[in-house]
Amino acid sequence: MVFSSASSSGLAGAGETIVAPATAPGRGALAILRVSGDETARAAARACPGLDFSRAWRAQLVDLVGGPGEVIERGIVIPYHGPQSYTGEDMLEVIVHGSAAVTAAVMDAFIAGGCRVAEPGEFTRRAVANGKMDLIQAEGVADIVAAETAWQVRAARAQMEGALSGRIEALRHALTGLLARLEGEIDFAAQGVANPPGELAARRDAIRNQIEALLATAASGERIRDGIRVAIVGVPNAGKSTLFNALLKAERAIVSPHPGTTRDVIEAEAEIGGMAVTLVDTAGLRPGETPVEAEGVRRARMAAAEADLLLAVHPCNHPEDPDLNALIDGRSWIGILSKTDLAAAPASLEAAGWIPVSLKTGEGFERVEAALRKLVAGGLENVEGAAVINRRHRANLEAALDEVTSAPLDEPELGAEALRAALGLLDELIGTVETEDVLDRVFASFCLGK
Amino acid sequence: MDARFDLIVVGAGHAGCEAALAASRMGGRVAVVTLRRATIAQMPCNPAMGGIGKGHLIAEIDALGGVEGWAADRAGLQFKVLNRSRGSAVWGPRAQCDKRRYTTLMRRLLEADRRIMVIEGEAAAVMAGDHGVEGVRLADGRRVTARCVVVTAGTFLRGILHTGGDRRPGGRYGEPPSNGLGESLERLGLELRRFKTGTPPRLRRGSIDFDRVTVQHGDPDPQPFSWRTRAVRNRIVCWVTRTRPVVQEIIRDNLDRSPLFSGVIEGVGPRYCPSIEDKVVRFPHHEEHTVFLEPEELGGESIYVNGLSTSLPADVQEAVIHATLGLERAELLRYGYAVEYDVVAPRQVLHSLEARGIPGLYLAGQLLGTSGYEEAAALGLMAGINAMRSQRNEAPLVLGREEAYIGVLIDDLVVRDHREPYRILTSRAEHRLLLGVDSARERLMGRGVALGLVPERMFHVEQARWERRAEAARVLESKVLRPDRATRARLQETAGIDFTRPATWAQLLRRQDVDPSHLADSIELLDGLGASDRDIVVSRLRYAGYLERHVREIERLRRLGAVEIPHAVIERGVPGLSREVREALRRYRPRTLAEAERLPGVTPAAMAIIAGRLVAHRRRDGTHGPRG
Repeated sequence: MVFSSASSSGLAGAGETIVAPATAPGRGALAILRVSGDETARAAARACPGLDFSRAWRAQLVDLVGGPGEVIERGIVIPYHGPQSYTGEDMLEVIVHGSAAVTAAVMDAFIAGGCRVAEPGEFTRRAVANGKMDLIQAEGVADIVAAETAWQVRAARAQMEGALSGRIEALRHALTGLLARLEGEIDFAAQGVANPPGELAARRDAIRNQIEALLATAASGERIRDGIRVAIVGVPNAGKSTLFNALLKAERAIVSPHPGTTRDVIEAEAEIGGMAVTLVDTAGLRPGETPVEAEGVRRARMAAAEADLLLAVHPCNHPEDPDLNALIDGRSWIGILSKTDLAAAPASLEAAGWIPVSLKTGEGFERVEAALRKLVAGGLENVEGAAVINRRHRANLEAALDEVTSAPLDEPELGAEALRAALGLLDELIGTVETEDVLDRVFASFCLGK
Repeated sequence: MDARFDLIVVGAGHAGCEAALAASRMGGRVAVVTLRRATIAQMPCNPAMGGIGKGHLIAEIDALGGVEGWAADRAGLQFKVLNRSRGSAVWGPRAQCDKRRYTTLMRRLLEADRRIMVIEGEAAAVMAGDHGVEGVRLADGRRVTARCVVVTAGTFLRGILHTGGDRRPGGRYGEPPSNGLGESLERLGLELRRFKTGTPPRLRRGSIDFDRVTVQHGDPDPQPFSWRTRAVRNRIVCWVTRTRPVVQEIIRDNLDRSPLFSGVIEGVGPRYCPSIEDKVVRFPHHEEHTVFLEPEELGGESIYVNGLSTSLPADVQEAVIHATLGLERAELLRYGYAVEYDVVAPRQVLHSLEARGIPGLYLAGQLLGTSGYEEAAALGLMAGINAMRSQRNEAPLVLGREEAYIGVLIDDLVVRDHREPYRILTSRAEHRLLLGVDSARERLMGRGVALGLVPERMFHVEQARWERRAEAARVLESKVLRPDRATRARLQETAGIDFTRPATWAQLLRRQDVDPSHLADSIELLDGLGASDRDIVVSRLRYAGYLERHVREIERLRRLGAVEIPHAVIERGVPGLSREVREALRRYRPRTLAEAERLPGVTPAAMAIIAGRLVAHRRRDGTHGPRG
């Protein structure tokens, strides 16, 4: 119910003028605060009386004052006049030196001027309320703020700029077209309105294809958002930990000439090929001689099973290992023939695509990195306009697909019910009719000041 | 004149008659001001009542105690339920009517009512003072006083009739327009806008070649509209024919002579009821257009040409008619024309149909931008009811969108901004499955009884019927069939379906591969119900799976409706909203969150802000309103 959820979401009194820092707390060269709401000009008159609010979109160097005669700091203030602002309301951006004390004092000055501290996500929520962006674009804003890899930035930007909204809009358009044909059959039966045979089914098929194409981007979306797991596996002393460190460009795992140095699973995060990658180093695969070793091998196998991609490391001076072959069978993997400085790479494996490498000299390592980059971002280049969906989108699109698929087109009033339901699910995505719960869920992912 | 009236109704068309009769039956003393007694309840366009959506309205008017359905039954010549092969929610009962008889019936009804006085004359102005409406001034200087006035001026305000280049002032064929009244409404602060509608030519019956057209019969088991009517029968047939391709050429060659296309007509016409010139321009690939021939009176000479509405010049109308199969030698009794008229922009009335800021002034009918007899009657009925309720200091009767098509109609008019004549359509109803003609009495007859417009005895008669249907549905839901050889063979033969697991009749009826009417034929326990009750039971069973969403939505609306928005909140303003929403709030002053939600531009995000404001307001005031 609107009432209780609005109060529990902390958006009570959302009409007031709000203030919040837009930059992360802590020490920095600069900090930026934002103010938004109808009373922005009045708050400015109190907190920065030197500002000429009527000169919109002009950076002005003015004193920020806490009380009469009490200058906190000189800062740059930019006034914005609604609706041509981020939130669609009158706004200020205040740039001061990045100290926590200065930021707090400036916040206090604006609060004394009638502002209240913004709730998390409230600036963007107001932008949605004022029609500056739809809900999907707002999610893009949250995503871009949280983005850590090049692909996350790319996907978030595309979403923020409306790539996904556009595809949902196109889908909505097609659905409305089909619905109109059913409604016509009902309301204009007396005038003999009927659809040519096959017309409705053809339109339905086209809509299903559109939804399925969007759903197919879910896997890419999840890979971009959640990253992928890459496990390094192989016999003991193959150089797995050396490879692990080389890929991380850091001495993360202990390396020694003794087989079985790595006994447990070690994980580290890295950005490879623009993607978030969790690298996993594992114990060498061999029959455990001690319980600890046996447990290490068990965990290695488990890590291999959970990984999206395997780096199989096999030393050139070692006979082929059926165990390793079994492990990579049917998986996505890259084969690495290590220790080429000690023995020649077996021609048969090299012909099968295994990459000869000497981790000692670094020879061949670039090829490994290139192969890894390629596999990690594999398939993403086909993501059209970088429109990829997240879990919220997927849930609604799957439900919409069910409705469209099950719509009885030969019973128009029931078919129309199903299509109306599907439209409602799309509207919910864009944010034209969504319930408060959805709004709250979306905006809960914002941090203060966005 | 003396002040013995509670209510003055201006205009005695379909809206005016319902308003006057409802008010009088609620105990009011009513004056009806009409130009001429003889034109009470005219049917100036097609000789038919009902249809899809419109039939729904008649059923609801009837259930509330209005008279249109009863009069259509009495004047009906041929009855047909459109969409009868589909589910019961979209059945559209329709009747061809004898226009003269319809008018006579309504006139007698008004004249026989001792609380109604019919005054012949032209209403020139609505008189209003500081406290609202005071009465009506007639063109001849007479004054009629009352605290409530329902204006139902139809298409008469500054009406202009067009046939080709010929344009003359008029409200309807052969009747003068009303110019002073519109100015009076403007002086009261109401904004008028220009609409347009039209009507086709009429033909002499004896001049039609009936060998070249196709006969159309009514339903074999004609059903009446009203609970007041026992039975009806079909007395006539209609015909259907089509234009020949040359009609396209004739019209294209003469488009510059059509006031619609030459720019003479500025009013906006209805898209769903286009003139033949509209159809030719918009659908150039349609070589033929369907034309229905409908008698206007029993035994009369005049035939209505449904499908050829036009404002082309007389000679072009002749050419078009003569290029239609079977009409080669047809004689035109009257040419088609377009009428341009002023309407009151409907967003200026409240859901009660009272004008905003002018207490006591109610508006209804085509004046409010609708088209059609049924829409007019529905508005008239509600205006009459609410005018009476306001005199008794009772809250207005406002039907919800989930409750009635009347609710959808009024809400659409009041909340959305319509730029063309408004016709009711089932696609306008979010809760179409709940608003079937079959459920109109279940939904609204109790209201009719409470208003004093429906006798309680009739309610109990109907109630017994609903219970029989409910009982049948219960049995179908609970009785389990075993897939033994005999049963399977029987269903295979009668309905062409097979089943392998025990199932209830309801489960079988809901299967997608089942033709429900076929299967229903083989369910003996339904034999006790009439054909339409049987199909209603089956339809509702099939709808059941789709109703859950509606039930949830209705529950949500009910809760929003319980949350009031104090005036102070709107007066202080709700910052944080878009300008459009802020303006809508100030302009419409919604009383509850449910009303606010329906305002233009109000998104769920805006709703959250408004709701948030209410919480803050309450906290500040230390009061606690209802919480959902």
